[in-house]
Amino acid sequence: MITLVKQEMYKLGHKKSTWAVSVALLVIMTIFAVLSKTHPKYWGQKDMFVTMYTGGSWVVLFLIAACSSIIAMEFQYGTIKELLYRKYYRGEILVSKWITMLIYSIYFYLITFVYSLLLKVVLYNGSFKLSDTYANNQSIIQSQFLSLIGQFVSVWLVLSLVLLLANIFKSTAAAISIGIIGYFALSVVSGLMFVLMQKWNWLKWNPLNMMNLPAQLTSDTYHKMTLLSTPEMVCGSLVYTAIFMAISYVVFKRRSV
Amino acid sequence: MADTILNVEHLNKNFGSKQVLKDVSFSVQTGHIVGLVGPNGAGKSTIMKAVLGLFNYASGKITIDGDSVSPTSHKAMDKVGALIEYPGIYPFLSGMQHLKLFSKDATSQDQIDDIVDKMKMTSYINRKAKNYSLGMKQKLGIALALVNRPKFVILDEPMNGLDPQANKDLRTIILELAKQGTTFLISSHILSELEKLIDDLVVIDKGQIVYTQSMAALESGGKKLLVVKTSDDAKAKDVLAQGGYQLDKAAEVSIVEKDDTKMADVIKLLSDNGIDIEDVQHVHSDLETSLLALLRNDKVKES
Ligand SMILES: Nc1ncnc2c1ncn2[C@@H]1O[C@H](COP(=O)(O)OP(=O)(O)OP(=O)(O)O)[C@@H](O)[C@H]1O
Ligand SMILES: [Mg+2]
Repeated sequence: MITLVKQEMYKLGHKKSTWAVSVALLVIMTIFAVLSKTHPKYWGQKDMFVTMYTGGSWVVLFLIAACSSIIAMEFQYGTIKELLYRKYYRGEILVSKWITMLIYSIYFYLITFVYSLLLKVVLYNGSFKLSDTYANNQSIIQSQFLSLIGQFVSVWLVLSLVLLLANIFKSTAAAISIGIIGYFALSVVSGLMFVLMQKWNWLKWNPLNMMNLPAQLTSDTYHKMTLLSTPEMVCGSLVYTAIFMAISYVVFKRRSV
Repeated sequence: MADTILNVEHLNKNFGSKQVLKDVSFSVQTGHIVGLVGPNGAGKSTIMKAVLGLFNYASGKITIDGDSVSPTSHKAMDKVGALIEYPGIYPFLSGMQHLKLFSKDATSQDQIDDIVDKMKMTSYINRKAKNYSLGMKQKLGIALALVNRPKFVILDEPMNGLDPQANKDLRTIILELAKQGTTFLISSHILSELEKLIDDLVVIDKGQIVYTQSMAALESGGKKLLVVKTSDDAKAKDVLAQGGYQLDKAAEVSIVEKDDTKMADVIKLLSDNGIDIEDVQHVHSDLETSLLALLRNDKVKES
């Protein structure tokens, strides 16, 4: 299994896009940090720091793309046969890809977090302190960290769906578009969803609602809209992730190549 | 019974309602080079994929070196190298990176360099594989199948796109490895090439095995003909028939050669009867001729 993960990392590491995307992320974060320094009216300095200078949103995009490609590329390039006829079990091949993506997601969140701290120290050393109260009686750094954890959990809910779709459609394009649309559809439909949930209470368990976890973690009133407690949401997200992963596993094991 | 490395017994495989393999049984002896031939769509690639544990099959048994093979049982695959249909290639890796990626821990850089050298790929091995030509990709696929020095190698149409020199190089490599004990199962439509390699032949048509033989048996079973061009073919045929020679049904005068057939006797007999000889040719039936005859006459029906 370790060999398989190493091989996946080798492939990931030799893709130009892997590094291009990391550089792009840091450049974009820098731009937003500078903008919020020069135009604090439009981009609040503390808000920008808590959202990691928009880094979190970009990371979602990059991870969706990476997850769909790590599965679909093997079908696209015809390399799936080479992967599968070796001594390893099919399940191991798939799990090694999941682990690789888990490591990749941790890598992304880590550099985003560290770089946002760096930007803060360099550009805003005097403007605010990390221990200043932000919202919900939490300090700035607490807010940022909680929302990061929330994002990580809800991103993995999306990623598990993307991994499943890539497996079913064997195509990068389909998995990426559905993943991205799904993730950003939330902001569009959440208003309507909250209304419907007032009427049919059980709707609160729908997967889109779970995606509100990061918002709920940093607010004391959000649970009135999501109708779920934070532990319920975390569990719900994990259960959905597990269900999507399990379906992927079954689909992958039964596939003829 | 000799030592067999691959055993396929009563293998059946459907794609939906179409039965692609019907009761396929054959075995491959250790150290032999076995040719798997048959028309397009006969099921050659399907057999190879089943042997590699890439699909589930309806019924039957496949063992490699005594270990059974199925999608859930891949232990035996440690001894196997393969190229199926066309090589899968990551566009962002170079040829060398492919070899490194798929080589086992036990495979040294020297072994990798050795196969690259033998396949004459040195000049472009560090270039990105997406820019390779068809034949270059094919060579990389073959190198990937061989790099870990497997005991058993499965090659599906390995000569696809190879130039004559590369074909010859490949033949040398295969024969050398076979001498060292590696077993090969090779499918190909280029029978003239295959003929120079294989010890045994397995012929499949419409999902059924129609023939398994050693090449030696096939060759000795094939007819050798002595074809003579004369000034008067009709008369020559009569004379030869009366002289006790067996004639093949053909427009030309073709004598079926037996062990005691001597060309001098034939020439003497004809010239004694006043027939001038313009040309004499030995004709061997090659693999292609034998195979076409075999497939024409087999009784396999499409289900
Ligand atoms: N994934 C699949 N789904 C449905 N039918 C398939 C599939 N793969 C192969 N077949 C069918 O199985 C039969 C055998 O195919 P196979 O690829 O084994 O032929 P082949 O002997 O390798 O032919 P060729 O000489 O053209 O390579 C064909 O009729 C083909 O249509
Ligand atoms: Mg084929």
